[in-house]
Amino acid sequence: MTATTVPSAPGTPGAPQGAPAALPATKPRGMFLRGLEVFLENKLAVIGVILLAAIFIFCFIGPFFYHTNQTTVNLANENLPPGPGMPLGTDQSGYDILGRLMVGGQISLEVGLAAAVIATGLGTLWGAIAGYFGGVTDAIMMRLVDALLAIPTLFLALVVVSIFPPTETELILVIALTSWLTTSRLIRGEALTLRVRDYVQAMRVMGGGSARAVFRHIAPNAIGTIVVNATFQVADAILLVVALSYLGLGIRPPQTDWGGMLNAGINSVYDGYWWQIFPAGIAIILVVIAINFIGDALRDSFEVRLQRR
Amino acid sequence: MIGFLIRRLLQAAIVVLIVTVIVFILLRSIPGNVAVAILGPSAYRNPATLAQFNAQYGFDKPWYSQYLLWLGHLLQGNLGFSWTLDQSVASLLGQRLPKTIILVGLSTLIALIIAVPIGVWQAVRRNKPVDYTFTGLSFLFYAAPTFFVGTVLILVFSVKLGWFGPEAPQGGIVSDFTDWRDLTLPVVTLALVTIALFSRYMRSSVLDNITEDYVRTARAKGASRRRVLWRHVMRNSLIPIATLLGLSIPGILSGALITESVFNYPGMGYLFYQSAQKQDYPTMLGFIIVVAIATVVGSLVADILYAVLDPRVRYA
Amino acid sequence: MGEFPSTRRRRRARGLFAAACGAAAIALTAAACSSGGSSNGGAAATPTGTPVTGGTATFALPPSTVPNYIFPFDSSTYFSVTNSEDFQYLLYRPLYWFGNGSSPTLNASLSVADPPVYSGNKVTITMKDWKWSNGTPVTAQNVLFWIHMMQAVASSDWGAFVPGGFPTNVSNVTATSATTLTMTMNKAYNETWFTSNELSQITPMPEAWDRTASGPSHCTTTVSDCAAVYSYLDGQSKQLSSWAGSPIWSIVDGPWRLSSFNSDGNSTFVPNKAYSGPVKAKLAQFQEVPFTTESAEYNVLQAKGTGGSQIDVGYLPTIDAPPTSSPMVAGHNPVSGYNLSPLYTWGINYFPLNYQSTTGNAGIVKQLYFRQALQYLMNQAAVIKGPLKGYGLPTVGPVGTLPLSGVSYLSPTGKQGDPWPYNPTKAKSLLTAHGWNVVPGGTTTCTHPGTAATDCGAGIKQGQALSFTLPYATGTTWIEQEMTQLQSNAAGAGIKLSLDPRPFNQVTALAAGNCVVAHISCNWDMGNWGGGWTFVPDYYPTGETLFLSGSGANSGGYTNAQNDSLINATLTSNSVQSLYNWQDYLAQQIPVIWQPNGVYQLTEVVDNLGGVTPQSTTLNINPENWFFTK
Repeated sequence: MTATTVPSAPGTPGAPQGAPAALPATKPRGMFLRGLEVFLENKLAVIGVILLAAIFIFCFIGPFFYHTNQTTVNLANENLPPGPGMPLGTDQSGYDILGRLMVGGQISLEVGLAAAVIATGLGTLWGAIAGYFGGVTDAIMMRLVDALLAIPTLFLALVVVSIFPPTETELILVIALTSWLTTSRLIRGEALTLRVRDYVQAMRVMGGGSARAVFRHIAPNAIGTIVVNATFQVADAILLVVALSYLGLGIRPPQTDWGGMLNAGINSVYDGYWWQIFPAGIAIILVVIAINFIGDALRDSFEVRLQRR
Repeated sequence: MIGFLIRRLLQAAIVVLIVTVIVFILLRSIPGNVAVAILGPSAYRNPATLAQFNAQYGFDKPWYSQYLLWLGHLLQGNLGFSWTLDQSVASLLGQRLPKTIILVGLSTLIALIIAVPIGVWQAVRRNKPVDYTFTGLSFLFYAAPTFFVGTVLILVFSVKLGWFGPEAPQGGIVSDFTDWRDLTLPVVTLALVTIALFSRYMRSSVLDNITEDYVRTARAKGASRRRVLWRHVMRNSLIPIATLLGLSIPGILSGALITESVFNYPGMGYLFYQSAQKQDYPTMLGFIIVVAIATVVGSLVADILYAVLDPRVRYA
Repeated sequence: MGEFPSTRRRRRARGLFAAACGAAAIALTAAACSSGGSSNGGAAATPTGTPVTGGTATFALPPSTVPNYIFPFDSSTYFSVTNSEDFQYLLYRPLYWFGNGSSPTLNASLSVADPPVYSGNKVTITMKDWKWSNGTPVTAQNVLFWIHMMQAVASSDWGAFVPGGFPTNVSNVTATSATTLTMTMNKAYNETWFTSNELSQITPMPEAWDRTASGPSHCTTTVSDCAAVYSYLDGQSKQLSSWAGSPIWSIVDGPWRLSSFNSDGNSTFVPNKAYSGPVKAKLAQFQEVPFTTESAEYNVLQAKGTGGSQIDVGYLPTIDAPPTSSPMVAGHNPVSGYNLSPLYTWGINYFPLNYQSTTGNAGIVKQLYFRQALQYLMNQAAVIKGPLKGYGLPTVGPVGTLPLSGVSYLSPTGKQGDPWPYNPTKAKSLLTAHGWNVVPGGTTTCTHPGTAATDCGAGIKQGQALSFTLPYATGTTWIEQEMTQLQSNAAGAGIKLSLDPRPFNQVTALAAGNCVVAHISCNWDMGNWGGGWTFVPDYYPTGETLFLSGSGANSGGYTNAQNDSLINATLTSNSVQSLYNWQDYLAQQIPVIWQPNGVYQLTEVVDNLGGVTPQSTTLNINPENWFFTK
């Protein structure tokens, strides 16, 4: 009988189905290829990867080919519509929008990635330790997580942002500090099931310590969960930055990110400056969609791996 | 079962306590002089008022004695007095909470009504064009920032077409029902994101259940596909969704904050944002406590429901 | 979130000093007689068509503000334009009304008493024949009631109180009859100052308010009863849901009474039929509605009444402001069906430098030539033309530049314009002439420390760099742009300004108070909260609050003996020349860095509503003047 499962939410792979029978573990290389196959079969995921790659190149390589001044305010050029020399027009401070899209994208993507990596790392460690040790340790650690989860993210972010000065690093920290919680819960769930597995028990019998158990066995086997969760975290982080920008807590000028561009543009919606709104909005939507496609497909391909175990 | 309940209740109480400590420490870490923030820079002219404020609210004492003072008040049912809005936090909550509940409740209800069938349909037609379309759409709505969606809706449906009002109803709760047309756009804005999220959950849940052995057994025994779907799969798929609702409270409130701000709807979310801007700590603390308690209770109820409805969980 | 920081909180200035005798208040009378002809929103079209009575006018409150106190005796927490000018003043008239169009002068016709008559150190106030809405007359006893309450609780509960100021500078107050009140001041003060800054704090209260929960009390005659009465009224004011029908708050002497109030901030007023003032309301109803953000208000403005939400008097978010070449005249209005009218406040804008800084830069700040150099690098004209889109007035000294025509407190020299126009060459030469090695684009350092005329100055070390941290308040785009401009201008002279954007509250907590007097950290050099100072209700802009040595609100701790004596002269001399002398002197001393006075609000008035302009720079609103046209 298969054990019950928590529904596979967009951000979470299902808790592993119980091993159907003691199939011998196949070679890792084969697993990776099989997973890759499943991934590539998913057309949406492929589109997502291509899209993401294109956006990365646009944001990070683009400025080398398309030079614009993104630090000096030039009010003589403010609010110009798309035209020769400025394919996407200018914004209210005179910055070229296309160039700003690249520079803003760098920050949005950096914050998203960095926050997701830190959140995932912290969450994985926390969850793995809590899940592996169980008992009182688990109770204390997870109650702390529950407490932080009970505070709405935006509420928490508002308070934390008031404490630190508004820079890119601070944004990364704020988002990471509010995002690691769900990861830790997930990983704890994984750790709880994994620690009773035969191979972990065997390792303990042979004298392996807890740290070894956590790092060499639990974490790698939860890799599926971790990777998928991290992927969705990136998208959520980007969206959280956008929300913070709306509340006036985003990056300060002359730096900007897509959320800041969108927010500034939305304020001019009645002036008809569509070029200040849609590029950033579309960029955000495209990236988040692409990441979600990829995450979905990754989940499917990891599930395949699990089924074969 | 009773033992399980008692243990969970105890743990829930501890969680709420931890929330209060964390938030209290965070608030006290915000730099800047709270007295000046509340009384205004003009208070510098008469330093006595600043000192009076600090003494009255215990800012001259260490943070733990302030905390114990506040906790004492809390346990007596006194949520505090808003420094900037001239009312007790409890009465503020009494006014704002129902408004947010209406907004959030309506949008969640509508989201569920729409998302559940869509999720099922997607699962049944997995990997077909229907599935892809809805996946794409739900990702689209998930990715579109709330304030962006809200403003565009206002621009199109209110300013240009004039079908709905540009702001949420401004009277009390009663006007939320009499002016329901004005409530449409905010509810739709909030619902769109929730629909996206819930339809994905539903789809996964149904997919997980459809591959279960009992489905195959039922079909083998001669039940029609539809019967199997509705009598067995749906019920089992909905259980996790029900538990999810309890856990989504904080997330939905975050979304409500922005929606309330865009549509000029003075509910709880917007009030929290206002208090955060003005460093009105009692209000912020009061709200966070209430939300935390609601979440903890929500997840507790969800866990209990889950255990009651799904016998397998009890013995896991 | 909004475009401007919360300058909605009033700044107040209170007197500290005594002075000599005064002659007849020629200046005062002249000011009172100059009517509201000097318009503030010049090109706002007046609606054509016949005026009609009736109708409901809706007024949009500034974003994120709601009235939350009805008792006119506001403590610091409740001291704001939203509570006073936008709310309480409609119901309970202050004894003396200030604001004639853009002149911040005494408006005799709207005041409850005749202009005060001074004789040495005595002043006599004669009440007009006004009535409360319950039929009783507004008497001198009602004024005494207020003054007694101030004497009892002002030091802790009156938001404008300054140690040594009103009412402590009054030794005796008596109501000699039902219509006459005599005050004996502890010295003879400048009459304009005493009327505009001290008597302006008085609002008469009806006898029916002289009570506690258990029944009538005697604060009007006995000061010791006042604390209990204050507590009672304060408690009543904290029950927001009870305001509309309350027997206490419905006794009004203003043109309006409150017919409904909902705690979200929606207020509805109806005309007070018993109002004794010169202009009775023509509207049937006046409504105030709150908004979360400027954008939310703008949405409703653009929707033009869809869904039943109509705004008749609102505002344009400054980000959408159409550029203009003349600050008083709006550009092309992006909202059709409305007229656009810029509103400036009576005030000045600046950011302080800390003369008491512990960062090691105090010595530099104290040098006049350095302040001159920095002021030369502040390009007010460019900021007005660019970030402010033309909606700004340069600050030329400690007195505001309004009104642009008619009687004003600005000296003839001040009227000539900015004495420190942008001049990077002069800035650099000033520094070079005083022993600095100017490195444009790099760091300027002191090469000649010492106190000789060509040396850097006392307290400045060899090799010390011109490097400062400049925190400024976020949330206002033009301030952010102005700061970046200043930073880049200053870099041209080798002055390094590290910008530090922070929330408004943090900047004011850091830099708005005299750090020594208020016992807070002195570890800052400059701080820009963007809002400067609004002279409301300290309408006569003598400098004792902002620039006198030792004042708590003298943010930087500026101290200068000549300045002090000139300020004292303004407080005692009745001649406006003393005000001119002082402001000309201080303008040259640059105690703080002057920056442009940006527009307070771009008011949108619906086409068929008249009487709204000219707007008052004291931020009073007079909906009783408003009328719809057909």
